[in-house]
Amino acid sequence: MTVRLVFEDGTLRIESDRESDPPLGGLPGVEADPRSDTARAPAQFYAPIRDVLRELDADVADAVLTPEPLALATSYELRDYQREALDAWIDSNRRGVLELPTGAGKTVIALAAIADTKRPTLVVVPTIDLLEQWQRELETEFEVPIGRLGGGEQRVEDVTVSTYDSAYLRADELGDRFGLVVFDEVHHLGAEGYQDIARLMAAPDRLGLTATFERPDEAHEAIRDLVGPRVSQLAVDDLAGDHLAPYEIRRIEVELTPDERAEYDEAQGTFVDYVRQANISFSSGSDYLQLVKRSGNDPAAREALLAKQRARELMMNAANKRHQLARILDRHQDDRIIVFTAHTELVYRLSERFLLPAITNETGASERRETLERFREGTYSRIVAANVLDEGVDVPDANVAVVLSGSGSEREFTQRLGRILRPKDDGGRAILYELVSAETAEERVAERRR
Amino acid sequence: MLTKDLLRVSRRGGSYRPEFIGHERRPLAARLIDVYSDHVDQPHRAVDEAVEAIEREESDFKLVRGLAALLDREATFETVTPLPPERTRRRVFEAAEAVGVATTEEREQAFINAADELAVGTAAVEESLYADRDCNQRLTAFDSRWDPDDLIEQYNLSLAQTALFDATEVAVTSDEPRKLISAIKRLGLMYEINREEQAAGPDERTVVVTGPDRLFRRTRRYGTAFARLLRSVAASTEWELRAAIDDRGTERELVVTDNDVVVPGVEPVAEPSYDSGIEADFAARFSSLDLDWELRREPDLLETGTSVMIPDFAFDYRYGEFRVYFEVMGFWTPEYVDKKLGQLETVEDVDLIVAVDESLGVGEAIEATDHRAIPYTGSVRVKDVVDVLREYETDLVEAAAAGVPDELQPEADVIELETLAADYSVSVDVIEDRTFPDHRRVGRWLVRPSVLSTIKAELSVGMSFADAEAVIAEHGPTDASAVLAAVGYRVEWEGLTGGVLTKR
Repeated sequence: MTVRLVFEDGTLRIESDRESDPPLGGLPGVEADPRSDTARAPAQFYAPIRDVLRELDADVADAVLTPEPLALATSYELRDYQREALDAWIDSNRRGVLELPTGAGKTVIALAAIADTKRPTLVVVPTIDLLEQWQRELETEFEVPIGRLGGGEQRVEDVTVSTYDSAYLRADELGDRFGLVVFDEVHHLGAEGYQDIARLMAAPDRLGLTATFERPDEAHEAIRDLVGPRVSQLAVDDLAGDHLAPYEIRRIEVELTPDERAEYDEAQGTFVDYVRQANISFSSGSDYLQLVKRSGNDPAAREALLAKQRARELMMNAANKRHQLARILDRHQDDRIIVFTAHTELVYRLSERFLLPAITNETGASERRETLERFREGTYSRIVAANVLDEGVDVPDANVAVVLSGSGSEREFTQRLGRILRPKDDGGRAILYELVSAETAEERVAERRR
Repeated sequence: MLTKDLLRVSRRGGSYRPEFIGHERRPLAARLIDVYSDHVDQPHRAVDEAVEAIEREESDFKLVRGLAALLDREATFETVTPLPPERTRRRVFEAAEAVGVATTEEREQAFINAADELAVGTAAVEESLYADRDCNQRLTAFDSRWDPDDLIEQYNLSLAQTALFDATEVAVTSDEPRKLISAIKRLGLMYEINREEQAAGPDERTVVVTGPDRLFRRTRRYGTAFARLLRSVAASTEWELRAAIDDRGTERELVVTDNDVVVPGVEPVAEPSYDSGIEADFAARFSSLDLDWELRREPDLLETGTSVMIPDFAFDYRYGEFRVYFEVMGFWTPEYVDKKLGQLETVEDVDLIVAVDESLGVGEAIEATDHRAIPYTGSVRVKDVVDVLREYETDLVEAAAAGVPDELQPEADVIELETLAADYSVSVDVIEDRTFPDHRRVGRWLVRPSVLSTIKAELSVGMSFADAEAVIAEHGPTDASAVLAAVGYRVEWEGLTGGVLTKR
């Protein structure tokens, strides 16, 4: 009696050749598949199924993972709290999530986990910049070729780093390739589509990393099933002073020029008129969505949306913001500065005006790598970036950040950014400038038209 | 395929129907093609602006954008610039770093320094700085394969494909099942055959296509694979695709057929193609005979275990709902033969004739699977096949005859035997044995005696044959000679052209 397990496009095909075998339907996650006349389960149930079969002492022909141990070693000395986090994960049968604040060195812990597990590993990350960063770390740490999926490359190796998008697209094909999957910023896995990555991969060992495990949408419940429970939790306070830098926020409000103001009022007026006439209250986000929906077949709604967009762009691109930025750049000639904005076009306008190296989602992989490298080593002391350098990216040693935002609503991003700033060697505090447009504008237009 | 934001569907009455476009959109299509042809050597940004201008005039901006997206793929955009942009940026940013640019004067200075180092003018440096951004690239060539009608066809196909992105399952019927199955396998999908009994005609077989993970959840994961499948399906002549759409949590049904979507540039194949000369040869010879059987090529998908078998032909009986499948098993590799025998063993319960190359020596093995084997050498003898079909025919005629009463009393005063046979769905042979108490048999016709009397009264000796024929035709029968004989006249022929009636 033999139970055969085969990986098939993100699922396990399970067959037994004798009726005396354990009933397959009773195995975790297994269902009968009339299409192939076999039993089948999502690949994530590989480990639990093996566990049950082992307990039943069943004869198993397992062709799912080809277990070739990897010789990996890490030279990092773990700090005590990092060691404790790693041990907690290992004790949890190598399944679980570590919750650590930004700057606590979760990459270091993950590298140690990979070295300790000694299995082919896939690291899944949310952004191109994290992809770059992980690739660099893995290449430095391990003496094996590092594969990469995303940012224009699709190369698979025993240790591979991938974006969530690439991993989603290829999960059913690569699901039998890795024994360990590391999900960086694991809260992304809560998204319906991305869950497939964890569902369709057979990897028994799973490690999640995040700064915020609990989510209002309860997605962490799904993550618990797919990756494992939270096995370690560390608050920002636990690290204060020691590893994170203090910083200062300076908020600068700018007014539109008279010409910009006139153009803005015009555009904003068009928008407000439509909204009033159409009786949309904007009491919730869904009202805006409704407007977007309407614009599909109502030219007036579309005109209103375009006007709103024009108004927002005027606000973003306010000439006075550029003047303020010129003053900041002038004042901080000896500092290391990162300029951020959410808008790609503005990034390029600032790059052309101040001749700052730019990083956006349009920037190719090699140029992006080179620009960050040159900033790190000091060839460049300033760069301008779209918010692509968002989550968890290790932005090396900038002590001044400038955020150009529309109306100052990107508070959360600003806070995260503050944490990655470093004080100067001479002990001077890091500074974060926030350039926002004065917020009175919209209300004024609304009042005048009443 | 389009991006999902350009999808246009109507949900009227709970349906889910892509808003296909027709010839009335030809002017718009032509206008957009012109935008691209007119903008050769212009930057991408200028093309986008011209398209946006059209968007503002049209009520449906998504349609404009969708058509433009298709044209964009036909266009070649290239970086046209005096200096390689990436290298230029490196020099400029290094120069800017040295200067410490904040004011516009400092900016000028950095450009001058960089230009000096690159040994070009500052204008060339400025122009090259971001010439490789998508929006700054130039449209260098636009060789459109499409005229406005092609663009409309391409749009409709792309729109249907885009709608399928949200599909969780599709069901397909196609007149080219073999291509369908191989496309499904190529795309890593799975299928089941759904067999539905029809009130009339052979069972309808639908191929239900899903992905492996569908067993566990309604997933949109295979949407793009379904979209690719549509392209294969739409290349056949007669097809229908039904999809279950997950429309933001609501399940809707999408139906697309050959009336909605064609693949531009792919002419539907008028002449069927055959796997081997033996099949083609057989089809040609069989069709030239006038038999009670209609030949159909690749008629159906038959289930064999969890796989399918597509027989080469089926014979459909003209006088009833009966189908016999026909498979030609040529001389091929032992693996092929084993696979075929395996299929024959497990195929669902249907009538199947197998013509088998004698040199294979597997005739007995086939008979053992309960199918009729016809051995052949060189080419399949049509007569051998017809003989087997005759056996079925005999059974069919008997079965049909059993349902026809011995005495037939049709309501019509005058009726042709063939029509009566068709009414009973039997061949004329069956009808001919019966008795007709209310009618007289006149040639191939049945005529009531009262009608014959009327005709007789209207005829007279010496009447021209042409007139007599007209009188008879007025009452129905077209066989004038037989009617004349029945009412006691004959024709005395005069020369070659006409004659007159005389008493028999």
